[in-house]
Amino acid sequence: MNLIEALEILKQAVPEEEQPLGVFLACGFTPLHLQTFLAAHLRKCLPKQRVELKTGLFGDLAGSLERLHASGCDILVVVIEWQDLDPRLGIRSLGGWRTADLPDIVKSADQGVARLEQALRRLSASVTICVCMPTLPLPPLFSTPIQRAGDYELRLRQLVASFAASISSESSIRVLNTRRLDELSPPHSRRDVRSELMTGFPYRLPHASAVAELLAVLIQNPTPKKGLITDLDDTLWAGILGEVGVVGVSWDLDRHTHMHGLYQQFLGSLASAGVLIAVASKNDRALVEKAFERKDLILSKENVYPFEVHWSRKSESVERILKAWNIGPEAVVFIDDSPMEAAEVKAAFPEMECIVFPTNDYQAIWDLLKRMRDLFGKNVISEEDSIRLKSIRGAGALRESCNVIGSSLDDFLQSADASIRFTFGKPAADSRTLELINKTNQFNLNGRRMNESVCFKYVKEPKAFLLTATYEDKFGPLGKIAVLMGRADGRKLVIDTWVMSCRAFSRRIEHHCLKYLFEKFPADEIVFDYEATVRNGPLQEFFAQLLGVPPEIGLRLSRSRFFERTPRLFHRVEEVGCG
Amino acid sequence: MAELDDRLVRCFSSVFPTLTGDEIRAGDVTSLINVDSLAGVTLVAVIDEEFGVEIDLEGLLELGTFQAIQQHLRRQSRSSVLPNEQETK
Repeated sequence: MNLIEALEILKQAVPEEEQPLGVFLACGFTPLHLQTFLAAHLRKCLPKQRVELKTGLFGDLAGSLERLHASGCDILVVVIEWQDLDPRLGIRSLGGWRTADLPDIVKSADQGVARLEQALRRLSASVTICVCMPTLPLPPLFSTPIQRAGDYELRLRQLVASFAASISSESSIRVLNTRRLDELSPPHSRRDVRSELMTGFPYRLPHASAVAELLAVLIQNPTPKKGLITDLDDTLWAGILGEVGVVGVSWDLDRHTHMHGLYQQFLGSLASAGVLIAVASKNDRALVEKAFERKDLILSKENVYPFEVHWSRKSESVERILKAWNIGPEAVVFIDDSPMEAAEVKAAFPEMECIVFPTNDYQAIWDLLKRMRDLFGKNVISEEDSIRLKSIRGAGALRESCNVIGSSLDDFLQSADASIRFTFGKPAADSRTLELINKTNQFNLNGRRMNESVCFKYVKEPKAFLLTATYEDKFGPLGKIAVLMGRADGRKLVIDTWVMSCRAFSRRIEHHCLKYLFEKFPADEIVFDYEATVRNGPLQEFFAQLLGVPPEIGLRLSRSRFFERTPRLFHRVEEVGCG
Repeated sequence: MAELDDRLVRCFSSVFPTLTGDEIRAGDVTSLINVDSLAGVTLVAVIDEEFGVEIDLEGLLELGTFQAIQQHLRRQSRSSVLPNEQETK
């Protein structure tokens, strides 16, 4: 994006929303065109969101952060440059580059880093922060020839690297990946010396655009894909299983098929991070089972569920896999070496990302792995990620046992040995709570999303509370699966947010959430901030069963009505108070 | 040179979105920039980006009018072909 395009994007009409996203840009230099580019890239990333981008004083970044009150914004963007650690590392200061100054510059930069870290940690308790570490080249102040890294230069770089690693452990701090920035903006063409000296803005325009683009994506925080469906022949391995047999398929260096091994290794990595992996292959099922018995297969069969192996259309396999996973096609990537198969699936599921596996093209496979890392990348790996596949297998077992035995749901739930742990109070919303609020569609009271700082502010209100439910039964743990946020208002409870993972359906957990609240508060009724969405049918159905009529805006449920209509509940309950 | 005129109007328009093309052509750049110096810095950057010609803020104020800036860019184009014009040839 160039500057004129950015300015033209900003001329377009802004969506009017009740709650604008407040973004505060803090940097030590005059933000000038970086502010313009950031506003324009945010408009592109968040076209439906009104963004209010503000900047503060510049010149003393650490001081500005120390004085900043996070209550005025939802997202804080901090762009650090070397001169923010010590002015002598910039070019507007003439504080001295003598060899004798170098130890003091490093010492002072160390103190500068410590101040920044302290300020960021304080702010991170109440606001999401996106941080960009120094992007400009260091000035030529070191005594070594330019091709040789000297002691002081390496120490400065180490300081920044340690600082980045340290703050990135805070869940509310997102550090921009400078390696990605290197790909978009070559380091040697970033600094605009003339502009820095004339106006105080140090970046060339393409670099300012690249920094802003990545920061906008960090702020947007795109939802990662949840599942990957892969083909087998000439995709997971090289060769056609039906032709070369179980020992003939390969993924090794000797047969020049190592890229398939890397692909398997990559899928194993995704699976370990909670991504669902399934197989859709036109193949002989018995042969595939034998192939998955091979000890040298990098991707374990335990990481794959379900296997759709037969000769029917791929789109049918995909449909069954989506049903087993209970997720939408927009959250899934389909990979097949056949362009025809990829096109057939794409035609059936236009929202799905369908990728042709570029067999025999080393560079293209490598690029594919990088692209997938981006599609599936997560900020943190939660406990729920590690148990997701197990719980989906459990749900499959649950459905099967209901079907096979033909028993009533009551009988089944009674024998499920289920327990719910309710956490109630004013806990800080963790990443799983925010994930549930921001990703759940089907059992969602109103479809409204909430960022970390909005959530934080809500729970801080005196009468507000946050309730989460964590579930486990004999089929395995589901982890934290429900979140309610509400307010006590005399003899009335108001629920503003209620989401529950689709993995937890059919277990009456939603009933128990309400029972818990009616037992916790002496409320005569609960008022829900309900709104119908395109996808919250399961929630509408739940209320329709309780009320006897479809839910409407202003939805109310009386205590007597609830206890009269709610079915038997068999869960053991554990309560944890918080905050 | 109509193309140069259009491109320069686009530069001005991106920085001063409320002005029409005629107002830009007839306008006094000095008064525009004196009201909003940040806009002046942005206009300098946009002209540099669009034409590859560096004019600093003082230079822009000295030129004073749209026509004078246009002539300055035209003179520059005689000594070196402007980047975007080169692409269209």
